[in-house]
Parts: sequence; structure tokens; C-alpha cells
Amino acid sequence: MLNGACVVMTNKTLVVADAGVLIHLDELGALDVLRNYEAVFVPNAVWVEVLHHRPQALKNDSIALIHVSDVSYSPKVTAMARLFTLHSGEYEALNVCLDQEIDTLLTDDTAARLAANNLNIKVHGTLGLLIRAVRCDLRSPDNILQLLADIPKKTTLHIRPQLLISVIEQVKQEWLNNK
Amino acid sequence: MNNIIQAEIPEQLCQQAELLIQQGWASNLQEIINDALRRYLESHQELLTEAFIQEDVEWGLRGND
Repeated sequence: MLNGACVVMTNKTLVVADAGVLIHLDELGALDVLRNYEAVFVPNAVWVEVLHHRPQALKNDSIALIHVSDVSYSPKVTAMARLFTLHSGEYEALNVCLDQEIDTLLTDDTAARLAANNLNIKVHGTLGLLIRAVRCDLRSPDNILQLLADIPKKTTLHIRPQLLISVIEQVKQEWLNNK
Repeated sequence: MNNIIQAEIPEQLCQQAELLIQQGWASNLQEIINDALRRYLESHQELLTEAFIQEDVEWGLRGND
């Protein structure tokens, strides 16, 4: 195993997903990097958004998606949503985090990350999840390096090209050093 | 100097905006669009986005969950 243990392998975790991460991972054929989460909660607004853009992502058998159709709304999240002009999916995802006492949100949206930070909710995005897949022995380093390089041409995730190149270089060095 | 842009906006959003204007919460559609764009840009600043990505990469490499 490379650089540190992955607790998730033995102590499974619940997470809430926003649409972006599900769509981007599916675009890369990599939704299975979520398979060692016990369940991925998907609020209704997120479900509808993914269904519209990437319906096959919701039929992936390798991950445990839970469609949350009844969302309780918290005044704290409502205030954050206004402050950070969140979309309905991000708004519902944060509400599910608080309501179900789930401390991790999966999103690639900067405003949603800011709001989650303010609510003491941990946030991870597509890049982190892909890189984590090596730490958790779900994918090989070479495979993840290839998927990272494929992001601009295969996905709708927008990252400044130079930043992506530097991230790829950083993780490549890290994995080489840990071989 | 102001730029003129053409954009398609979902009808439901337009109706909600019109309602706000009728109720006196905004003076016109342009004010709402300017405010929405400004808020979006404030909460999606490049440095912030890059800092989040770096945090994510660090977690991916060295996190414990």
C-alpha cells in the first residue's frame, strides 16, 4: 500500500454526493473509486440533475447509492445557501449532511466547499477521490495518472491546464518516492 | 464601459426574477443578473478554487479516510 493506511477499507464511511463528482467520475469510467464507502447519499435535486446529464451514473452496481427524496431543511444551511448562492443540489446535499449527521460532502464546486467549511463538513472532490483510490488499493498509480490526464478531454470538469499538469507531476513524484 | 451579452435563461428563472422586481426587491432584470454574476465570481475566485484543489490532492495522497 502506498503512503498511509486507508481506514475506509475496514471502517466504512457514509458520504453525501453533489452532482458534479458523480458526473465527472462517470465520465472517466471511475465511479467505482467510491465503492469502499458504505453508502453514497444522493439528495433528490442531485439525483434529478445526474439523471438529466448522465443517467447511467445512477445505475452503477459497484457503488451503494441512496436516493434521498425527503430532505429536511436547516436554517443554517439556508443562510449559507443564500450567502454563497448555492444551487438546489448543493443546498440539498448540505442539508442531508446535517440531517443525517454525515460529515463528508463530495463536490467540485468552490462555493459549496466554502459553505461546507463554514458548517464543519469535510469536502472532497473528483481529483482527491481519484488519488485516494491508489491509497485505498482500488486503482493502480498508472491508471489514476492516466485518468487525471484524461480529465480535459473526457469530462466536463474545468481545471486550469497548468494546474492539472502540476498536480499530475506532484502525485507522480509522490508515488515514485513511495515505491 | 458596459458589454452587451446575449444569453438564454430558463423561463422559470425569468419568472422568479420578474416577481422580485414586481414586489420591489430589485429595480430591473439587469440589476439581478449583475448581482448574480458578481456573487458567483466572488465565491469562485481562482485562488480559492486552486487552494481547494491542492487540499484535495493532499487528502488524496495522505488522508486517513
